[in-house]
Amino acid sequence: MKLTTKILSVLCLAVGLSFNAHAFPDEDVSIVIPYSPGGGFDRAVRAFAPQFGEHLGADVTVLPRNVPGAGGRRGTTMVYRADPDGYTLGIINLPGFALPRILGEPAEYDLREMSWIGRIEAQTYVLLVSGSSDINSVKDLQALDEITFTSTGYGSTVLAATQIVARGLGLQEKDPIYLAGYSGTSDSLVALVRGDGNVSMAPISSAAKYVESGDLRALAVTGDSSPFEGVPTFAEAGYPELTPLDLQRALAGPPDMDPEILKALREAFNKTVKDPKFLEAAQKARMDVVPLDGEATAKSLKESFEFYEKFKADLKNPNAL
Amino acid sequence: MFDSVFTAASYLADGMNLLFLMLGVVVGIIFGIIPGLGGATAIALLLPLTFGMQAEQAITLMGGVMGAVTIGGSITAILLNTPGTAPNAATCFDGYPLTRQGKAGMAIGAAVTASSVGGVIGALILIMLLPVAKNIILFFGPPAYFMLALLGLTALTAASSNLLRGLIGACLGLFIGFVGYDDLGGVTRYTGGVDYLWDGLSIVPVLIGLFAIAEMLKLYVVGGSIAKSDGATSVGVSGTFEGIKAAFRHFKVILSGSAIGSVIGTVPGVGGTVASFLSYSFTVQTSKNKDEFGKGDIRGVIAPEASNNAKDGGALIPTLAFGIPGSAEMALFLGVLVLHGMDPGPMLLLEREFTIFVLILALLAATVVSGIIVLLTARYLIKVTYIDSSILIPSVIVVSLVGAYALHNSIGDVFAAAFFGVLGYLMHRFDYPRITLVIALVLGGLMERNYFQTSLMYRGDWSKAFGDTPFVILLGLIVLALLMPLIAKAIKRKTGQKA
Repeated sequence: MKLTTKILSVLCLAVGLSFNAHAFPDEDVSIVIPYSPGGGFDRAVRAFAPQFGEHLGADVTVLPRNVPGAGGRRGTTMVYRADPDGYTLGIINLPGFALPRILGEPAEYDLREMSWIGRIEAQTYVLLVSGSSDINSVKDLQALDEITFTSTGYGSTVLAATQIVARGLGLQEKDPIYLAGYSGTSDSLVALVRGDGNVSMAPISSAAKYVESGDLRALAVTGDSSPFEGVPTFAEAGYPELTPLDLQRALAGPPDMDPEILKALREAFNKTVKDPKFLEAAQKARMDVVPLDGEATAKSLKESFEFYEKFKADLKNPNAL
Repeated sequence: MFDSVFTAASYLADGMNLLFLMLGVVVGIIFGIIPGLGGATAIALLLPLTFGMQAEQAITLMGGVMGAVTIGGSITAILLNTPGTAPNAATCFDGYPLTRQGKAGMAIGAAVTASSVGGVIGALILIMLLPVAKNIILFFGPPAYFMLALLGLTALTAASSNLLRGLIGACLGLFIGFVGYDDLGGVTRYTGGVDYLWDGLSIVPVLIGLFAIAEMLKLYVVGGSIAKSDGATSVGVSGTFEGIKAAFRHFKVILSGSAIGSVIGTVPGVGGTVASFLSYSFTVQTSKNKDEFGKGDIRGVIAPEASNNAKDGGALIPTLAFGIPGSAEMALFLGVLVLHGMDPGPMLLLEREFTIFVLILALLAATVVSGIIVLLTARYLIKVTYIDSSILIPSVIVVSLVGAYALHNSIGDVFAAAFFGVLGYLMHRFDYPRITLVIALVLGGLMERNYFQTSLMYRGDWSKAFGDTPFVILLGLIVLALLMPLIAKAIKRKTGQKA
């Protein structure tokens, strides 16, 4: 009897405490990185996490957690299925993780349902040829008979961007070869320097040092302005429909999150992206911080879906057996 | 250039920096010894420690880890037949039989000496290659990679005592290597809808199963302890000293191993595991009396260990010059570089000469220092093999499974390790070589991807590949490797007739 009373009182206490629980957050928040340590997504989260924790609350630690696998699908599915209590968030590759659904492949998550906290990074793309080639403009490229793109494999964001540019520039009619399968963007750029292929697309941050050293030549960039002197944007070269192509890294939580919790997360996010300490860490990690708040990110995602839908027919695997 | 070497050396000799180097070495050895952990885990763990450091200090620490980790890993390979890190896998083939003969001390002595000397040679080769680093990387395209993998596979014929069984093992290895998502074809293969298999089987849990767990099953059936001879006499410094002498007696093997390690190391994505297998099979093929290989030939320990330490020097070239990490370990190291404001690229080698030399010297010092540490502690480490099976088996299995889990925090890896443990035991029981399975598993994916890339690149016209110099050179080596046994036989017959 005495024991039962004790247990009951402890239980009551526990229940009482949980009802009177502190406002979110009162424990550690984890951010799932769906890739192995060492990559761009990993670096972004590790630079972001300490200050994000500080702005969430005095005793809150934000823990980066690598859940690699299945090209990012494993980690993203994990976030999608997690309790929407705000303690499990994920860094999302846009439009990379939207591609399976656009391509009609099985995906256990739907990015459009997720609770968007904000975008951290956005990178534009650059169209490249070898520095030793005599191709100096998009026109020169279009005059070639044989086009071979070096690229990462099917399902990667870069290959999708390459296919869209090929369609936009009218290169698709020349029956180009997509030399896919390189293990990463740097790998496919070195292959371009070597001459495995004669043209490639890459995020500007990966390609900048090769352009500066003269190993590669930039022909055009996506986005509204060009960081390279004398290199036009696609819009300036006469292909404005290619301007929206980019690669983004954004923070999201599971669908149906409590509005109060989401609000707290978004507020902390907005403070973090302005925090000088974070900006310094971001610069060290060579990130392209172009922040966007949660609602705008969700909207931009919808537009992104529409953009890629338009090119859906061009996005099938070029090397399917 | 020599100025930089001197200032770098005096920098390392400074008390605080020496401390960082030693810390890196000790962590490296320990993480090397425990299967499943390894260089990548150690660097990931130490990474946050470097936040407040200067770039050179952080690099000294990481150089210490990278130089020491495969030396630690060789101990587990020799004593327990399980590679402490993946590049030590080839060391098992002869290292473990030596242990069973009670010659663990000798094997460790030889392995450590080969590693240290190999590490030094690798660092020297790196210094010499730096000016032409870019050309080397641009030399190897998909056709050359394909031929390189094929060359590795032809070595299978030498590595198996029974050719047919060896080839069956190799086919199994290729088959296992094809499991997972193929991002060229855009299809998943042999995954049976299991999520875990999407990325294919990672090599470490497979090795842990095939070697560590299979070995423990074997030991359970036989009983007793790993080393069969009466312990007390053969354990000790004399054994290790004999090993050191053996390593220097076979200095040619160290040299060829180091050269192979350095060259293969520069090929991104191939890395230490392939380098040590190629070095092992090269030694087997070029040796006159090859009957003892696989049964406890000291050269079988020297060759892979020399190459897996020399490979760090080579592997730094693509990492530093192009920002292409050849392995998980290098990927994390790349993260360290970027974190400390060093942007890998063709310019880095020129701009940060001093820092690069600190790294090379740290790597060099780490292989020597960790070699000495391991030699001094060898006599205690060896006692592991005299532990009774009733204590050893459960401990090793627990450490193996925890190691498999620790790799990616994935329970799937634990099941994979257990599955391959049973498979490894069955292969041993029915006398199928495990070596050929592992070589084919390591090389299969590389070969396949580059085969398709070459086909695409030349639009299906393989005759164009003959315009690629490394392709032709490697093809010549393959033909030579396949003809060698025939030629040797023909010569033997001739001399036999004369007699």
